[in-house]
Amino acid sequence: MTGEISKAAAIVGAAEANQIGFLEEPVTSLQLHIEAIKNLSVQTGVPIRSIEGVFSTGWSSELCEHLGIQPKYIDTTAVGGCSFEMHVHHAMCAIHAGIIESALISHGENGFSARRIGGRGGGNYGRGGGISSPGMEMSMAYGLGGAPSNYAHAMRRYMHDFGTTTEDFAHIAKVTRDWATLNPRAAMYSKEKHPFGGPITVQQVEESRMIAWPMTILHCCMVADHGGAVLIASPKFAAGLDTKPVWIAGAGESMGHSNMLEMEDFTKTSAHLSADAAYTMAGLGPADMEMAQIYDSFTITVAITAEMLGLAPRGEGHTLWKDGRAAPGGKLPINTNGGGLSFNHSGMYGMPLLIEAYRQLSGTAEDGVNGDAGKQTSARTCVVNGTGGSLSTTGTLVLVADD
Amino acid sequence: MAYNKPIPSPGTHTRPFWDGAKEGKLMLPRCKDCMKVHWYPRFICPFCESMNLEWIEASGEGTVHTYAVQHLAYGPWAEEAPYVTAYIDLAEGDRMLTVLRGVDASKPEEIQIGAKVKVEFDEASDDVNIPFWRVVEE
Repeated sequence: MTGEISKAAAIVGAAEANQIGFLEEPVTSLQLHIEAIKNLSVQTGVPIRSIEGVFSTGWSSELCEHLGIQPKYIDTTAVGGCSFEMHVHHAMCAIHAGIIESALISHGENGFSARRIGGRGGGNYGRGGGISSPGMEMSMAYGLGGAPSNYAHAMRRYMHDFGTTTEDFAHIAKVTRDWATLNPRAAMYSKEKHPFGGPITVQQVEESRMIAWPMTILHCCMVADHGGAVLIASPKFAAGLDTKPVWIAGAGESMGHSNMLEMEDFTKTSAHLSADAAYTMAGLGPADMEMAQIYDSFTITVAITAEMLGLAPRGEGHTLWKDGRAAPGGKLPINTNGGGLSFNHSGMYGMPLLIEAYRQLSGTAEDGVNGDAGKQTSARTCVVNGTGGSLSTTGTLVLVADD
Repeated sequence: MAYNKPIPSPGTHTRPFWDGAKEGKLMLPRCKDCMKVHWYPRFICPFCESMNLEWIEASGEGTVHTYAVQHLAYGPWAEEAPYVTAYIDLAEGDRMLTVLRGVDASKPEEIQIGAKVKVEFDEASDDVNIPFWRVVEE
């Protein structure tokens, strides 16, 4: 599919909650949603109650009630961290169909605060189980816990198939941290901000605490508090705003499996399918991309995804970081905010990908969010990819700056 | 010692698997039309969409597809950490998850992808035996 749907909608604003990161005073997920939405409304000048479509991972009816929105279009897609890229895809389709002119996509997840007050992000991806899910029935006896416990199997198999080492992947963590040290909003910005913050070396990644061999803790993203929201609008609606549009040139989504038992090739995800759809819609290819924002739940995730997006040959995803192309000053900046590894990751990371892509392509990265400026790159095109579940679901966007 | 780990509740269509396990047999679902074995158990063949399924007794043999060593574990499993988890390629086809036995979790580099494994069963409760896989000599 190509042609007229490309650029049928734009991201016209992107905002975050007042405070994000490892918050001292616990917050609820709803508070993170609402702060981000209010900040988005102030930024764009669009009154909250005038927004026509509401998209979130299961929160939409609660948000509409809380905010007094009477929506014309409701979406609650919750398939893990890539849900937000899919929300953009769905909102674009609804706008292209002429059903709505504006759409709110909202995220609030108190991943860190939940340890003290309970909560988290909603959506129940992978939480099936018991008598209704034979996949869960046949997995639950075997001592798997959080996401790292499963992703480590993919990293081991990848190392076997391609001869890569943990050191190869450690470069990803190191370079991504380098980006975080340029972004005061990043949880790992500095030692002053977090005891484990500031620059790290490849050796430190290698020698940090083992979580699930072959992954040490510095191969894993954090679990912090994050709220964010973006506004999607038709070209006509966008033209009436003071904020810059970032055009949705292409969008695609797919999935390979839900339960990792069904992941046939542990070194591939469905991102090659969602990316094909997005590139085709955009009429652009990987060589046209000047930047990438890629869900880095673990170093292995972003290495595989870079390959699936056509940014590197198979087995060589990690070289983008190792040879500095993805680093600050490199030819293909990746995860310029510091990623889920070092910026923020609340459990689902799809929203920070959108926010950073918008800030970079609208030229507002250094304008500051809540007073903190970030690092601006010169990129005019960006491929964004979210991954959900256990390397399961994927959503890809091709975004381009306004002329 | 009584089994203290999570025990699955048998579903409505998986009873033959658990009945077999109770007798020390590994039962696998197979499609009577395309004759392919699949795992986990389905209501419909994931390969050919047939609903004409049967259960067969498997050889209980397979190989290690990939593995990981769990250092961060929860609940009763935390007491056993570090331990090795693995996805097993079944001799009859498709793949099963296990906690892998017969390996040293402190020497993960020595575990071989492709190593031969055999199934064994733990008596978890009066009703449920749980299959686990063990690396065996060539």
